[in-house]
Amino acid sequence: MALLDLRDVEKVFYRGDEKITAVRSMNLQIQAGEYVVITGASGSGKSTLLYMMGLLDVPSAGEYLVQESSTSTLSDAERARLRNVYMGFVFQSFHLIPRATALKNVMMPLLYAASHDGIIDVQTQEQMARQVLQRVGLADRMEHIPNQLSGGQRQRVAIARAIVNKPRVIFADEPTGNLDSKSGNEIIGLFESLHSEGVTIIIVTHDPRIAERAPRKLVLEDGALVGDSYAG
Amino acid sequence: MQVRAIVRMSWESLWAQKLRTLLTILGMVIGVGAVVLLVSLGEGAKRYVLKEFEGLGTNLIVVQPGKSDKKTHMGPPVGAAQRKMTVLDVSAIEREARNIEAVSGLVLGTVSARYDESLSNITIFGTNEQFPEILSIAIGQGGYFTREENDYRRRVIVIGRNIARELFGDENPLGKRIKLNESEFRIVGVLAPMGDKLGLSFDELAFIPTTAALKLFNEDKLFGIRAKASSRVSMDDAVDEIREILRTRRDGEEDFTILTQLSMMESLNTILSMLTYVLAAIAGISLVVGGIGIMNITWVSVVERTQEIGIRRAVGATRRDILQQFLAEALGLSVLGGLLGVGGALCLTHILHAFFPLFDMRSPWWILLPAFAMSLLVGIVFGVGPAWRASKIETLDALRYE
Repeated sequence: MALLDLRDVEKVFYRGDEKITAVRSMNLQIQAGEYVVITGASGSGKSTLLYMMGLLDVPSAGEYLVQESSTSTLSDAERARLRNVYMGFVFQSFHLIPRATALKNVMMPLLYAASHDGIIDVQTQEQMARQVLQRVGLADRMEHIPNQLSGGQRQRVAIARAIVNKPRVIFADEPTGNLDSKSGNEIIGLFESLHSEGVTIIIVTHDPRIAERAPRKLVLEDGALVGDSYAG
Repeated sequence: MQVRAIVRMSWESLWAQKLRTLLTILGMVIGVGAVVLLVSLGEGAKRYVLKEFEGLGTNLIVVQPGKSDKKTHMGPPVGAAQRKMTVLDVSAIEREARNIEAVSGLVLGTVSARYDESLSNITIFGTNEQFPEILSIAIGQGGYFTREENDYRRRVIVIGRNIARELFGDENPLGKRIKLNESEFRIVGVLAPMGDKLGLSFDELAFIPTTAALKLFNEDKLFGIRAKASSRVSMDDAVDEIREILRTRRDGEEDFTILTQLSMMESLNTILSMLTYVLAAIAGISLVVGGIGIMNITWVSVVERTQEIGIRRAVGATRRDILQQFLAEALGLSVLGGLLGVGGALCLTHILHAFFPLFDMRSPWWILLPAFAMSLLVGIVFGVGPAWRASKIETLDALRYE
């Protein structure tokens, strides 16, 4: 059974009168525990595909199933809940809240988790956040705000935020795009270690270091899937 | 999200921008402060006037010559009498009314008084011996004049505290004779210090028998009649009795007006309450201005934090969570401002009270509740627009917003 299942998914934008097909007749299954890299030229639709899979965007046509149930009829609140419980996001420009400490940033998903899965008290929330910050190697940076952290450290905070609620799948959009190679390698290492623990990882990237080490590689061109290969 | 989490989150966010928060709530502080202050002033003024009125004696009935518009309860225009009101009317009421405890005619006039010093423009009340009971007048030295002294038109006088001091200094005024215009009066009593009642300083009044006053001022009609009902319950009966007695004596014509202390107080209360409401409404305008300030800052905050909204939505916040977050911040601002405003106004009224002890305008503590509710309402009214807008932002647009 597929964790994520896209059936003839299409995404169309309108820029003025111009119709732009960002993703066309996409058929794609991703199993639980996979490590998938999506590559392609800019404008090939890979980010749009990622955001649709992450329930941040809605397909214009076709059917998208998460754990075999359709997402087309979900309400906004139900989509938010799925994102919160099953998914984690890592972005190119980190997307941390600037005036909140690393700890507060990591605790944020738990704040919204509390609304649908019973009450998690603040102490527990904080404990969980500290644990994942330790896990990403930021035990001594928890009370720093993003401005006081390096790019690599910020991205590790973002990863900690993505995994604090123990998601099934992590979506990353160019996670190493704003980092030097050393920090980039650390981030890749983190993804690989999460993958080894069974978390599904889906990364959109230009970075060949990520692409060549990925077990499964998807290539997009003009919104269409032109390559789907397994390493080894 | 839990209420506690929302409150904590909005508090952290407001605390993170202390100066902006402070400047934003300033409008609210002034608005709520002004409402509380002006309502307290209005209420204080009302209490003051009503207390003065009550101080005139309880169960007071005022009969004035002339017929007035019934609705105002404020008495006829002075000098509008058609038929004289005389001491015979007073005697008739005293004889026939069952529910009257005391009744007296009233003659008013101004004279100059002379002992060694001379005082001009002393206000004289011509009354009978029952008058002290009607207006709760306390005698300090000696006594009020008697029924016989009134009946036989004795030239005796009871003087207010200040007149006694000015004419006699430390000397004992009892038994002394002073000249009112050209007639000599013997002092039989001095009032206890009474202070002001409705702007009339009883310490500067003098009282002489009605009969003597009519002679002194060369009058034959009374200024009015004052009576005291035997109890609050019998007030209406007393008024009816007086009306019947006087009408009978006037061949059924009602050319006089009867007012009661109660009805006058009710009218005053209505007028003063209206005044308080008007004051509150005026102050309410500044509240609206404060609310607009909050709306403005919440709008700015929504735009500034567009990316934050996107991030929160991505990690699982629903539209409702976002709405609640910004609404909570607007409410936080307005309630904080409201509480500071009430606090400030309470302090101010207490300080003012310390300087003007007679005029008690201290706000009651219960004013906290409506003021709190008011600021909550302002927060909702002016916060809901920006918060709604925030919740409607599309997640992806918000994430890409720079």
